[in-house]
Amino acid sequence: MLFRLEKDRYALPLSAIREVIVAPDTWTRVPRAPRAVRGVINLRGRVVPVVDLRELLDVPGAPTSTPGRVVLLDRGRRELGLLISDVDGIESIEKVGPPAPKASLAVKGLARLGALPVTVLDPDALDATVARAFTTK
Amino acid sequence: MAGASWDTSRYLSLFAGEASEHLEALGKDVVRLEQGATVALVDSMFRHAHSVKGMASSMAFEATAKLAHRLEDLLDTLRADVAKVNQAVADVILQTVDALSAHVKAATQSQPLPDSTALVVRLSELNAGLKGVPPPPVSAPPPPPVPEAAAPPAASPSGVVAVDAAAPPRFALKLKINPASNQPGVRGFLAYKRLTTLGNVFELKPPLDDIKAGRVPQGAVTLELETDQSEESITRTMRTVADVELESIGLVQRAPPPPPPGAEADRVVGQEPARTIRVRTELMDQFLDHAGELLLATARVRQIARGMPEALRPPLDESVDRLHLLVKGLHDKVMQARMTPLALITDRLPRAARDIARRRSRDVELVITGEDIELDRAIVDELADPVLHLLRNAIDHGVEPAEVRKAAGKPPKGKVALSVTRQRDRVVLELSDDGRGIDVERLKVLVVERGLMTPEQVRGLSERETLMLVCLPGLSTATDVTDISGRGVGMDAVKRVVEAVGGSLEIETRAGRGTTFRLAVPLTVAMVNLLLVGVGDEVYGLPIGKVSGVVETARGRLALSQSAPVLQWGQSVLPVHELSSLLEVPAGPASAVASPFVVVDSDEGRVALAVDRLLGQEEVVLKALARPLDLVPGLAGVTILGNGRPVFILDVARLVTA
Repeated sequence: MLFRLEKDRYALPLSAIREVIVAPDTWTRVPRAPRAVRGVINLRGRVVPVVDLRELLDVPGAPTSTPGRVVLLDRGRRELGLLISDVDGIESIEKVGPPAPKASLAVKGLARLGALPVTVLDPDALDATVARAFTTK
Repeated sequence: MAGASWDTSRYLSLFAGEASEHLEALGKDVVRLEQGATVALVDSMFRHAHSVKGMASSMAFEATAKLAHRLEDLLDTLRADVAKVNQAVADVILQTVDALSAHVKAATQSQPLPDSTALVVRLSELNAGLKGVPPPPVSAPPPPPVPEAAAPPAASPSGVVAVDAAAPPRFALKLKINPASNQPGVRGFLAYKRLTTLGNVFELKPPLDDIKAGRVPQGAVTLELETDQSEESITRTMRTVADVELESIGLVQRAPPPPPPGAEADRVVGQEPARTIRVRTELMDQFLDHAGELLLATARVRQIARGMPEALRPPLDESVDRLHLLVKGLHDKVMQARMTPLALITDRLPRAARDIARRRSRDVELVITGEDIELDRAIVDELADPVLHLLRNAIDHGVEPAEVRKAAGKPPKGKVALSVTRQRDRVVLELSDDGRGIDVERLKVLVVERGLMTPEQVRGLSERETLMLVCLPGLSTATDVTDISGRGVGMDAVKRVVEAVGGSLEIETRAGRGTTFRLAVPLTVAMVNLLLVGVGDEVYGLPIGKVSGVVETARGRLALSQSAPVLQWGQSVLPVHELSSLLEVPAGPASAVASPFVVVDSDEGRVALAVDRLLGQEEVVLKALARPLDLVPGLAGVTILGNGRPVFILDVARLVTA
């Protein structure tokens, strides 16, 4: 699945995604949380933490403006929400090259789709990055 | 695994569960055996061994059945003459119980059964030796049953004239269930169950079904008990049942006519099995999850109904009320079904205590009281390891060797007590030993030596805080096991588990007199009563149990102590913490007139939390925090209010320290 953070293009394996929802207007803040954590939302009775992907990946620029979209990663018995700007569509990516030298650990690599570069993310590493942000805060 | 076709494998987990229960009970009996063998006790052991044998052979575990069979033979011999029980015999029985447990475990994991031929031989030899006949060859069929030796009459109470020499004496008992008891039915039933372990119960009034249902007028229960046990032992047994008092006991002068055939059906049978089914705990968890979500969903519907046109409201409200009652009832039932007596974990402790004590050459008596108190299954499971750990610590590091104890003027046998009590919405487990206590000064030195704290930090600690140092993770990794550092092994894990279930740990010690570890845990995990408070735009829940009170005063009028604000609270002065800065969330505009201060009990003692608004009290379903939210210190859980808003529940105990 392809999506954007402002102008940059990213991709996540479709199998890792449970659903995509419109970001809510209000958030319940998480106390003592790292900066990247936007808050929690009530998803049909479940409480799901949502992380601003731009902050998590240290992409320069203003925090993702809402209304954006929230991608819900399927993490087994729980979910992790990622706040993004918008979804572009679904494409198949054949070849993933090595990531940029200073990229976050959550980046699996770079791919090309037509003329445009796409940053491919690793869902497990994203989850681990969030947990690390909590513990090293 | 041989013998387990598809058919039997379906029953494998059932076999494993039931056989393990019997073996656990058997192990417990062996420990009691060492304190004094009675016919009733050996009889109970015989029945357990017999059950295991039957189950194993129906599952075609021949080796297991054979081993159990030999154990049964040995117990049968002992039953005829309990005086033959000695340490060596008890050891072999325990060995056999262990071997049988290993068989069951192997069977469950579809592994080949361990070889226990040697033990089978040993049992046969021992049995033959006790009976005074040469051992039969091992492969031969089991020896013909010995002529049924009449059980020697157990020491009957003095002055007893037994009317019917063939039957054991019969006592008339009057019991009184404490009217303040929460569950008179359960208490009464427990008392009944205890008595049936001593003998047969007759003339039970009110009938058992009424007792179970709690229909016991004035809490009075009368019955007659036919038993070999002495009056004193009956009295002692009754003392172990909380909330039930033995009002009177006396011998019944029986009319001699033996019961006519058929009367058997009328008597209350001692081992009436409670009608139960086994449910996987995972399924119970899902029940609870769903019942909890139903409650939340109902609250949401109620909230939506408030926005409906007035004309629609009455029928809608009525339906929602009814729905809420039904869902709440369902939730309560699910919670009730999850309640499990602590005996589930305490039953294995006597055996564990014996093993630990023997390994360390200590002489220790373990006394357990209140194990029939019930807790949510999830909490009981969590407590198993911490309790065992505390027991091991108490025997390893608390109780001194006999010579040291004698020199200190103490009885040579150490005493370890586990007492379980219910205190409001908490269950308190106290594990105390009468050993040497914790050397607080040495503890301080050790903490500094290990570089865990600076001497200045240690000096500033209260006694209570100093004792909690045994829970520092660094102490557990100490390689040179001194008396104190040994105490630290795993204590951090104990503290973590207890706090994870919403409980707290306290330690008390007196040099040379012993140490007490007090675990206070909630009865259930799911429902929690909250005081909702507002901070800026956010709402947080404080568990009511931790809230001592609320004071309203203007922030500007607080007294200052060393330039930090403090709140006058009765006779004492409490430190004030802004909840917004503790939680690192923006605060609202401070009111110039008056703001509420919530006084709570934290690990640091009593503190006042400054909040912006009080939003009332609510009973909510607590949801556990999933990763990564469980990494946030100071949060106990989360819930969803009727308006659909997620609200974090604060872990008041650790809020200030974390």
